[in-house]
Amino acid sequence: MKIVLDRPRCEGHGLCEEAAPQLMHVDDDGELVLDREEIDEADAALANAAARVCPVAALRVE
Amino acid sequence: MSTPPTSDVDLFADQVVLDPCPVHAELREQGPVVHLPKNGVYALTRYDVIRGALADWESFSSTSIAFNPMANQALTGTSLASDPPAHTRLRATLTENLSPRALRGLKGRIEAKADALVAELVEQGSFEAVDALARAFPLEVVADLIGFTGHVRDNMLRWGQAAMQVLGPMNQRTAENFPIAGELYAWCSEVTADDLAEGSVGRGIFDAEARGAIPEGTAGHIIHQYLGAGVDTTVAAIGNVVALFAAHPDQLDLVRAEPSLIPGAFNEVLRFWSPVNVWGRLATRDVDVEGTVIPAGAQIAVLLGAGNRDPRHYDDPDTFLVERNPVDHLSFGYGPHGCAGQGLARLEAHAVIEALSRRVKRLVAGPEVRVPSNITRSIEELPVLEVIPA
Repeated sequence: MKIVLDRPRCEGHGLCEEAAPQLMHVDDDGELVLDREEIDEADAALANAAARVCPVAALRVE
Repeated sequence: MSTPPTSDVDLFADQVVLDPCPVHAELREQGPVVHLPKNGVYALTRYDVIRGALADWESFSSTSIAFNPMANQALTGTSLASDPPAHTRLRATLTENLSPRALRGLKGRIEAKADALVAELVEQGSFEAVDALARAFPLEVVADLIGFTGHVRDNMLRWGQAAMQVLGPMNQRTAENFPIAGELYAWCSEVTADDLAEGSVGRGIFDAEARGAIPEGTAGHIIHQYLGAGVDTTVAAIGNVVALFAAHPDQLDLVRAEPSLIPGAFNEVLRFWSPVNVWGRLATRDVDVEGTVIPAGAQIAVLLGAGNRDPRHYDDPDTFLVERNPVDHLSFGYGPHGCAGQGLARLEAHAVIEALSRRVKRLVAGPEVRVPSNITRSIEELPVLEVIPA
């Protein structure tokens, strides 16, 4: 499974980082960095939680 | 496939806009979509269909967010009322100066302002919370941020309220507010960089126009959206913070004991009393919603507050619980049109909650006064009779 970021849509609200700090973080410039894009079954719930809280629907898991 | 159930509810009747929860519950139980002939709309009532519709801009267009054609006409070409791909560029310019990224430097100043204001009110011992806090704080923050001075600063609240009221159906409230919303519109069509304070975000928008990042003549539109969308809603949210903490001292105690609950407490305030009662969309085609069909061209009424109280999504939804942390509430909308100012709203509200929870042990409030309003649901007056300091 893979986390996909629609970068132009991301506004840096940072709620995804709060939901899944193991998988992503907002850097010092306020840009979202996906620390892990390819994820396994064990991290699927976290990744889905991060995608779900994005207020502008910029993240998805596929 | 069938047609949705019908109800003779009037969403904009005084008693409904003042206290929408009972009507929302009734409609939600009738079905996920309910046809309301009195308003000429199809109402979305349940959490899942609302969130789904907000994400699906291809079926649910934003070209009809208002419930009268004049307001929709006036909003044509703005970020608020456009669909991708045109929306995408407008949105980027709108959020360039408003995203959490752009606002990072402001946090300390906003917190200091909130703390000074709350300290002064606690010192007074009693105060009228809506004027002295819910209106005063966002007005000051937004005015300083955009760079408003003089008569614009004095008119921000009137203009911001009117900009929301005119989104309603052609009732008396809408008619009375068109001239006031027109004052804002006229000012925004003539505003120049020199009218805004140096170094402000408003100046930044004119700089963007000067370097060609946005089309010539559109800076005023963006300033219109900041003021129209960002004042009345934030005033409502902060008034609700005070009223709900006064009414639920046990919940204030929880936040006082554990400051990490502050963001979750704000989410719960927004979920429990949505500042925006109803918002519009337009069905671009026949849309199948859980087995019923909304016909192409239908005006949609998105009942954000009804979704926020849907027991299919939130356990015990009619109870105010700061530990719930409903991060996926619908009060900021969702998806491409998700509230562009939510980062600023969070900065403001978190600062107010933090200052209140640190300085106040208990708020004793008198009865709240509400007046009917088409779109925004807010408290008009809230007397705080006694403050028990921390």
